[in-house]
Amino acid sequence: MTSTPALSVHDVTRTYGDPGNPVRALDGVTLTVAPGTFTAVMGPSGSGKSTFLNCAAGLESPSSGRILIGGEDVTDWSESRRTVLRREKIGIVFQSFHLMPYLNAEQNVGLPARLAGGRPDKARIRELLAVVGLAERSRHLPAELSGGQQQRVAIARALVGNPAILLADEPTGALDSASARDVLALLRTTVDTLGQTVLMVTHDPVAASYADEVVFMVDGLVAGRMGQPTAEAVAGQMAHLDDLVKVTS
Amino acid sequence: MIGLALRSLRHRAPAFTATFLSVLAGTALIGSFATLFETSLGPVSKEDQEILFIMGAVVGAWGSLIVLFSLASTLGIAVGQRDTEIATLRTIGATPGQARRMIRTETLLVALVASTLGAGIAWVGGRGLLAMIREAGMVSDSVAFAGGPLALGSTVALVTVTSVLAATIAGRRATSGPARLAMVDAASGAGRMRWWRILAAVVLVGYGVVMAMITVFITADSDDPYAAMQTAGSSSILVGVGLAVLAPTLLRWTAVTLRPLVGRFGVAGHLAAFNTSRRAHVLGGVLAPVIVFTAASVGTLTLVAIDGRTSGPANAEADLINLLNNVVVGMISLFAAIMVINAFAAVIAHRRNELARVRLLGATGEQVRSSVLVEAGIIAAVGVLLGLVAASATVVPFALARDEGFVPDGTLWLPPVLVALAVVLTLAAAALAVRRATAAPVLATVNQ
Repeated sequence: MTSTPALSVHDVTRTYGDPGNPVRALDGVTLTVAPGTFTAVMGPSGSGKSTFLNCAAGLESPSSGRILIGGEDVTDWSESRRTVLRREKIGIVFQSFHLMPYLNAEQNVGLPARLAGGRPDKARIRELLAVVGLAERSRHLPAELSGGQQQRVAIARALVGNPAILLADEPTGALDSASARDVLALLRTTVDTLGQTVLMVTHDPVAASYADEVVFMVDGLVAGRMGQPTAEAVAGQMAHLDDLVKVTS
Repeated sequence: MIGLALRSLRHRAPAFTATFLSVLAGTALIGSFATLFETSLGPVSKEDQEILFIMGAVVGAWGSLIVLFSLASTLGIAVGQRDTEIATLRTIGATPGQARRMIRTETLLVALVASTLGAGIAWVGGRGLLAMIREAGMVSDSVAFAGGPLALGSTVALVTVTSVLAATIAGRRATSGPARLAMVDAASGAGRMRWWRILAAVVLVGYGVVMAMITVFITADSDDPYAAMQTAGSSSILVGVGLAVLAPTLLRWTAVTLRPLVGRFGVAGHLAAFNTSRRAHVLGGVLAPVIVFTAASVGTLTLVAIDGRTSGPANAEADLINLLNNVVVGMISLFAAIMVINAFAAVIAHRRNELARVRLLGATGEQVRSSVLVEAGIIAAVGVLLGLVAASATVVPFALARDEGFVPDGTLWLPPVLVALAVVLTLAAAALAVRRATAAPVLATVNQ
């Protein structure tokens, strides 16, 4: 493919703690996400997958390396420029939904547009709520929605600004398996019918099986990849991550 | 439960600061007046006794009403903001009774320590108060300070019992209903007004209005020039506290009405308009002290001014009454100011996570800060408006009684100045609280 990658990460490291005894959460990660694809990042706890997502979202600065979003190098941007970036180029979906409790579904979806200083496009919001299957619930407050419904509102909100990439951090982590399936199918639909690019961090092999490609992370490194994943194959690979590490090191 | 309560206190010391400060300041204020009352029971002359009694019991009682009310509302905020934590305890097997016992025990411990320290301040403060009225020549120099265990002990008991009672009521609210429901973003929900609150508000406002009518129709014609003051003087405080009891509902109504207007002010106005209307039960705790501050200061100071114009040549009795009124206003205003700052700090600290959430979505720190300031603006506007309504319950009847008509003849600059003070205080308290809340990096806050 010749098109610009939606996200491209070059040799990114992230170190925490004091310089004398540093903890390397990311140890030189390189990854490219092509537009219109669904990528899952998997790894055990402490593998650095959340740090990776935070860096990609501009919520954290990497210690070294470059991050390009839609072909634009955003590594050295200031906090306020990155805030605008999050608003315009990135849609984020969180494990715990992060809806505003005092805004109804429609208003939550319209919030990013308002934060950008504009007026939300009513027709677009209605269309997105229909896409996520909540057209009838647009006037409900988050407390009146189930967990799965709240997460679907959050996905509609992430999509409202036509982001270059949608980042999802354990989007099904707080859901029951039926709601989780709905949310994953919805993410798949956004890729297949809307041409959206999705990068999802997860530790659930079933969730990962909805992706086009799974990237395995171990100890802050990309340890392997798998195309056309099935839940069984992913689970099998997760059980033998040590082998991947031996191959790469 | 004591073990759990102690660990919870130690772990979350900052969260109990609001409770601690309110109890401390409240005990110091009530206790100082209580020592005057106890002094009046000692070996003093009849005249001295009467003045000490008025100062201690009458003035002290009005102060106590306001202090106890503010204390209860602060404790309501403090317990209410732990809804998620309480729900978590219940999902792992704590019965509602156990959760309530933990809340009660914590409050009892904090209130006992804070009110004991407050009693120490009151012991010094009472001496200062007595020295002041001795200096002013209102009581003879021979009157010796006799505040002790009776005054301070009963103040500590009163404040502690009020605190535990308020925590019990708030705890009941936090533990009613199924445990899981509370886990679903507990921050939302209407927060129904309970019948006893409505009853208390009706009694307080009704009492204030009746006193105002008595002033106009009965005591205005009395031979004693201070009869009208006695009946009108308390009306503003009564109506003010009565309206403050209903603060959440009044805030919801006005915020819903103001929504189209405030919504025009960009995203900050949009967020503030919906937050004040849909979460009025949280922000009502901040509105209450603004109402009381405006009502008490405008009502009482205008009363003093009218009296100064109409009571003829200065005499000792007028001096004393003016001093009393000024002391009351000063104390109450100071206390209400502490309460406004306290309440904002507590409410904003609780909303730290929510504010960080908006920033994650792409709000700048500036947008978050201005949305909180717009909220504070709405609260200030509603607060001073209701406060002025309450103040008129004192001002109008007393002005009529002293033949100045519905509107006093002078010092009309007083209400605008006090209103400005209330607005500045509210905005400053909000600005201070939100600056602290948005200082930390977004991720650190959300992951807490």
